[in-house]
Amino acid sequence: MNDRIHPLLIAFAALTFLFLIGPLVIIIGTALSDTSFLTFPPQGLSLRWFENIFEISAFRRTMMTSFTLAVGGTIVSLIIGVPAAYALARYRVELPKFLANVYVLPILVPEIVLGFSLMKSVATGMGFSIWLSLLIGHALLVLPYCVRVTGASLNAFDFSIEEAAVSLGCPRWKAFFSVVLPNVRAGVIAAFILAFITSINDVSISIFLTGPGISTLPIQLLAHMEQFFDPTIAAVSVLLMGVTVAVMAVVEWTLGLTFLTK
Amino acid sequence: MTSRMIAWALAVPATLFVVLCLGLPVLATFATTFGEPAGVLAPYIQFFTSGFRRTVLWRTMEVALITTAISVTVGFATAWVVARAPGRMKSILIIAAVFPLLTSVVVRSFAWLVILGKNGILNDALLALGLVDEPLSMLYTEGAVIVAMIYLFVPLMIITLVGVLEGIPRDLTDAATSLGAKPAATFFQVILPMAVPGLIVGAVLVFTGSFTSYATPQLLGGERQMMMGTFLYQRAMVTFDWVGASTIAAVMTVVTLATVLAMSRLARRLNPVAG
Amino acid sequence: MTVSLTLENVSAHYGSTKVLEDLNLRVEEGELVSLLGASGCGKTTTLRLVAGFLSPTSGTIRLGERDLTRLPAHARNIGLVFQTYALFPHLTVLDNVAFGLKQRGMAGKERRAKAIEMIDRVGLAGFADRYPANLSGGQRQRVALARALVIEPPLLMFDEPLSNLDAKLRVDMRVEIRRLQRANGTTALYVTHDQEEAFSISDRVAIMNAGRIMQLDAPEVLYSRPANTFVADFVGFENMIAMKAVMEAGDAVRAEMAGGATLDLPKSHFAVPARNFIFAARAEGLQVAREGAGIPARLGLRTYLGRAYQYRCETAAGEVVANGPLSDPLEPGSHVVLVPQPDQCCLLKAETP
Repeated sequence: MNDRIHPLLIAFAALTFLFLIGPLVIIIGTALSDTSFLTFPPQGLSLRWFENIFEISAFRRTMMTSFTLAVGGTIVSLIIGVPAAYALARYRVELPKFLANVYVLPILVPEIVLGFSLMKSVATGMGFSIWLSLLIGHALLVLPYCVRVTGASLNAFDFSIEEAAVSLGCPRWKAFFSVVLPNVRAGVIAAFILAFITSINDVSISIFLTGPGISTLPIQLLAHMEQFFDPTIAAVSVLLMGVTVAVMAVVEWTLGLTFLTK
Repeated sequence: MTSRMIAWALAVPATLFVVLCLGLPVLATFATTFGEPAGVLAPYIQFFTSGFRRTVLWRTMEVALITTAISVTVGFATAWVVARAPGRMKSILIIAAVFPLLTSVVVRSFAWLVILGKNGILNDALLALGLVDEPLSMLYTEGAVIVAMIYLFVPLMIITLVGVLEGIPRDLTDAATSLGAKPAATFFQVILPMAVPGLIVGAVLVFTGSFTSYATPQLLGGERQMMMGTFLYQRAMVTFDWVGASTIAAVMTVVTLATVLAMSRLARRLNPVAG
Repeated sequence: MTVSLTLENVSAHYGSTKVLEDLNLRVEEGELVSLLGASGCGKTTTLRLVAGFLSPTSGTIRLGERDLTRLPAHARNIGLVFQTYALFPHLTVLDNVAFGLKQRGMAGKERRAKAIEMIDRVGLAGFADRYPANLSGGQRQRVALARALVIEPPLLMFDEPLSNLDAKLRVDMRVEIRRLQRANGTTALYVTHDQEEAFSISDRVAIMNAGRIMQLDAPEVLYSRPANTFVADFVGFENMIAMKAVMEAGDAVRAEMAGGATLDLPKSHFAVPARNFIFAARAEGLQVAREGAGIPARLGLRTYLGRAYQYRCETAAGEVVANGPLSDPLEPGSHVVLVPQPDQCCLLKAETP
């Protein structure tokens, strides 16, 4: 094959990947250090900073909150998003053309503007509870994934299968659950995963909506950083990275990662 | 039930959700800026006549543009290599590029705090190599923010561009070669023109992402390098100047939307497949 | 100025796969030779080797006197027409056709003139400023043709150029291609899996299988005098019956088949290649008759072909397909004789499995 890449380019790419992965390795290293300050390479190896995470009640609570928000927000988003995606795929002609763009608005509008607006109008203006505001914010944040990614699978779906089921006596709504959903599983899983990760890692929306007693892990991390600049931060970072690895493993197992380049 | 009714019934919840929880609040924010007793456009006039605010806007633009330019170049060169890598290696490289994307902004920015700090790794290395006599103060500079932003967006460009490059059919480069085009000619006359629309889309994502960023400027720029994102937060949550904050939000949104629209139009015009 | 193409002992191994083994091929000046075979037979690999997209593991490739083997693809000056047309979507028809001329450093005005002339020649006058996206399949094919022809290459190569067109268009286009090739007198190598296509336009055809050329001959020869069982089967000899020559019987050779039946093969029509040989016959090469000299058989299913009836027949040597006249339809179960028609039969050497 005449696919010889110029060695300079290869060297450049190698440097880029070093640039990308290096800092993450550094974080892992500093998290394992047996010092009370951040240093790399680590001096002495210890897991005490990981233990420290669980000793700080704020981290324990916010981990729970983040996780619940991610799951809750994603589920809400999927519940309203998948039917919308289905409608767009199946009944494209009946719906106005711009509708698909409506569901992508949370990406078009700057996150920080959205967070601020939600705080102003919903949390403060309408007095919704912090939890509810956060849930709304996160559900909005991940809606584009729940519509677009499942939409991609639904667009590739051959709806004559659904028609066949109906012709064999299966009512429409049942056909959706027993025939359509199982076949677009890949899209739904991908959407769930992308949504989950986006929600867990979010800062720009959460920063406006968190309040006394309720916060998300990344926000808590930011706050902690302002007061204590110690390896606990690195440890929490490693934990967050661990969540990502776990999720990627699931993606690889069910879909294969090159799915993401499409 | 007609098809139209079913379609709307299915689409309504999500549509309502977006309209009520996104559309209205954002419009309300914009509306806030127009209701000042000093005049409908008073907050904007104040914004653009204030030297400080103009600096913030300009700095944010500058950071975003530099980040975009570097991310696109680095991303393209790297994506080129990844797109041509053999099977196994390619999968590994894609995973390596995707992984940072899936970690939190806080984590990724924090890494640069550790690296660029006075007691950080870079300073340690520079001191050890004898290149400097005392640690450099690299944090809270525009440069630090830019480096951290590039770190955020290069993976995005790589992934986008690998997709773009793979979308160029192999046959086309073979055809060009068979007609006598040397590798450089094939690149400039065939591959690059076909990659441009995708490049533009990627560049827009990076630009708007860096322009509206909060966490990275906050951690690496602090108050010395105030940018639109951090400025908005400060106005909203520290000084409780909600009109001011809304103004910043409005300017941000307009810049973002204008960029997206202009670039989409450009990309569509340059898109060869649309003919 | 057209030249011959020579492949000498070309082998192509990729990893552990041996795609081509010691391939030898010569295409004479001005000839159109087709490489014909099923997917995986090595025909596309051969083309890509000549084009320079692949490097042979061993052997040489020569165009006239020029040794191409180590030459990079962009320096080979070969006109290629791709299955997918491979038109540059971001360039107009004119710029597509002129692309090769541009690479050769031809000035803009001259390029334009030559390209337009070629665009007219392929029947696309007026289409110069269109984009490929706005062309039909047949029109795109013509642009691809024009683009390859305009550089006046000593060799043209076609990689299944018509597979993406519908049947009627395919017939029209293949005639076009042959006409243009003949008019220029350019040597051409044509890759296809379609037998009718290859046979209709080629001077010679190479039938390929598993990386080897099974027979390289004019279509007429391939059709009536296949050299081996693979080619015979390929060109439509449905029946292969193993026979053994037992004795001379007047001016014929008597051969025996499994089950004891014998057949007298007149020496005027058949040349027995060896003691053990294979009797290959098309369905129309075995005529069903109530009696006469031939292979005894019992009739099975009858199907109607329009020009004849076709019967599946049980013989002592196995199942055979034979045709019978429309005037005398026979029922399954009838006992008949299958009379060989020499023009539709041939004898082949028995091949050791």
